[in-house]
Amino acid sequence: MSEPLLQVNAVTKTFGGLHAVFQVSFHITPGEIIGLIGPNGAGKTTLFNVISGFYAPNKGQILFNGQDISGKPPYKLAVLGIGRTFQVVKPFAGLTVLENVIIASFARHPKRRQAEQHAWMILETTGLADRANAQASSLTLAGRKRLEVSKALALEPTLLLLDEVVAGLNPTEADRTIELILSLRDQGITILIVEHIMRVIMNISDRVVVLNFGQKIAEGVPRDVAKDSGVIQAYLGEAPQ
Amino acid sequence: MSRKYLLLILSFGALLAVPSVIHDTFFLRIITEAILWIGLAISWDVLAGYTGYLNFGHGAFFGIGAYTTALLMKLCGWSFFLALPFAGLAAGALAVIAGIPTLRLKGAYFAIATWALSRAIQQVALVMDITGGPDGMRLPTFLHPDFFYYLMLGVVAAIFALYWFLLEKAPFGLKVKAIREDDQSAMSLGLNPTWIKLQAFILSAVPTGILGAIYAYWITYIDPASVLGDLVTDQAVVMAVFGGLGTLIGPAIGAIIIYLFKTYFWAYLSDYQVLYLIILGGVIAASVVFLPNGLWGTISGYLQTRNAVKQKPVPQEKIDKGVHHV
Repeated sequence: MSEPLLQVNAVTKTFGGLHAVFQVSFHITPGEIIGLIGPNGAGKTTLFNVISGFYAPNKGQILFNGQDISGKPPYKLAVLGIGRTFQVVKPFAGLTVLENVIIASFARHPKRRQAEQHAWMILETTGLADRANAQASSLTLAGRKRLEVSKALALEPTLLLLDEVVAGLNPTEADRTIELILSLRDQGITILIVEHIMRVIMNISDRVVVLNFGQKIAEGVPRDVAKDSGVIQAYLGEAPQ
Repeated sequence: MSRKYLLLILSFGALLAVPSVIHDTFFLRIITEAILWIGLAISWDVLAGYTGYLNFGHGAFFGIGAYTTALLMKLCGWSFFLALPFAGLAAGALAVIAGIPTLRLKGAYFAIATWALSRAIQQVALVMDITGGPDGMRLPTFLHPDFFYYLMLGVVAAIFALYWFLLEKAPFGLKVKAIREDDQSAMSLGLNPTWIKLQAFILSAVPTGILGAIYAYWITYIDPASVLGDLVTDQAVVMAVFGGLGTLIGPAIGAIIIYLFKTYFWAYLSDYQVLYLIILGGVIAASVVFLPNGLWGTISGYLQTRNAVKQKPVPQEKIDKGVHHV
């Protein structure tokens, strides 16, 4: 097996007295799609924020390509190659779709012209090219989620963190997004995805990490995790005696 | 678009010809000061309109520029043009010192902090001997209205061109707007918000200091009330808000309208001077309620909506062929 791209070592993040994430460890090898699941409030988004630099971990360590990145600010991690989307989408609402993606392209293409060309290319892969000149605020939810992915992609990340990019989409839109995620993996991008829709997670993930109350309760290939009694309990509660 | 720039260039050309047509020094002075206010309104808007940070201490940068020039010319015997860059430098340094701690704060706290800073600086100028305290300072006189007209016009046009290039053409403008729209998203895309806001603050402060220097040499007398008082900031704010935040043309239009109104008011209705501030307050309240995007924002918003109806999406064949590429 190759060197892990991302290594999360016993990471803990507390808010006041609450352990939002408690001693979670896992790793991602290059080219994998890892699903991160768990009931509401399990700490998935907090873990995302720790990995992408929005929160510094209280304890533990995060290694990216062997380099310790714990506590580095998001804008440095973005340049290192970690792209992320937000569960609550954050478009630059007053700007056009194209401008949104141009801004993200500056990280790799500091010249305006090259950035614009690169942005067009990204919009074509994500299927937003026809809306390029529209205001970001005029997009539908599906469009905004695509824009989130486009912006993260424009960074040319090696690791892409996707926070619920399928939730809230209708089945056709969802299928298109899944296709997109798989094609990104084929291009060599490693993906960590949070999703509530089990159909999606179980179908596209190579491995799944399950969180509950901030702790990792299971990890493995989707088939095994789905049978794990701890996971079933976390989602469905105790089985009656 | 190009029609807009043609109009700008034409009006600049017309302004160049003004001193050869108008020989009345009173009028020339009014136009010179109107141009000064255009500079102050757009430099305030760089921070307020483009990054969303309301600087209620803008006058402090103007005053610092004015006092720096006065001190260098009187105490060190420097020539005006030698002192001029140092006025900009002093204002820029103040922006760095004030910006590093305050630009991490949310907008409202920044507004309070800059206001307090400007009050503090005015107090310093009031109590120090070197600045003449409340008596102010007198500069070496140089009575050439045409010279100051051209200097003001040239400097403000240069500021306008610099802003237009950096904010509307260069990557910097989009980065600044990204931070205004959503700083978390901007951060996740590799932008350091504090650093970019600091750059915008410096970009707003340095030209303001230079304008303060020109003002001081032109008027030849400065005191804490005239260059460090509230009115400098207040008027720039009203002009920019009334004209339209987040654009360059809006505050310029706002500056001309408000300044001409003020001048007319003070010249012909001087018995009612006390009413001026009341009217200024009324204008700002009314424009926030009725013209939230300002005069220019409302006009260009209307034009955009009209064009958007005609606008078509990028056709699929063009996307397939890739011919839309720049």
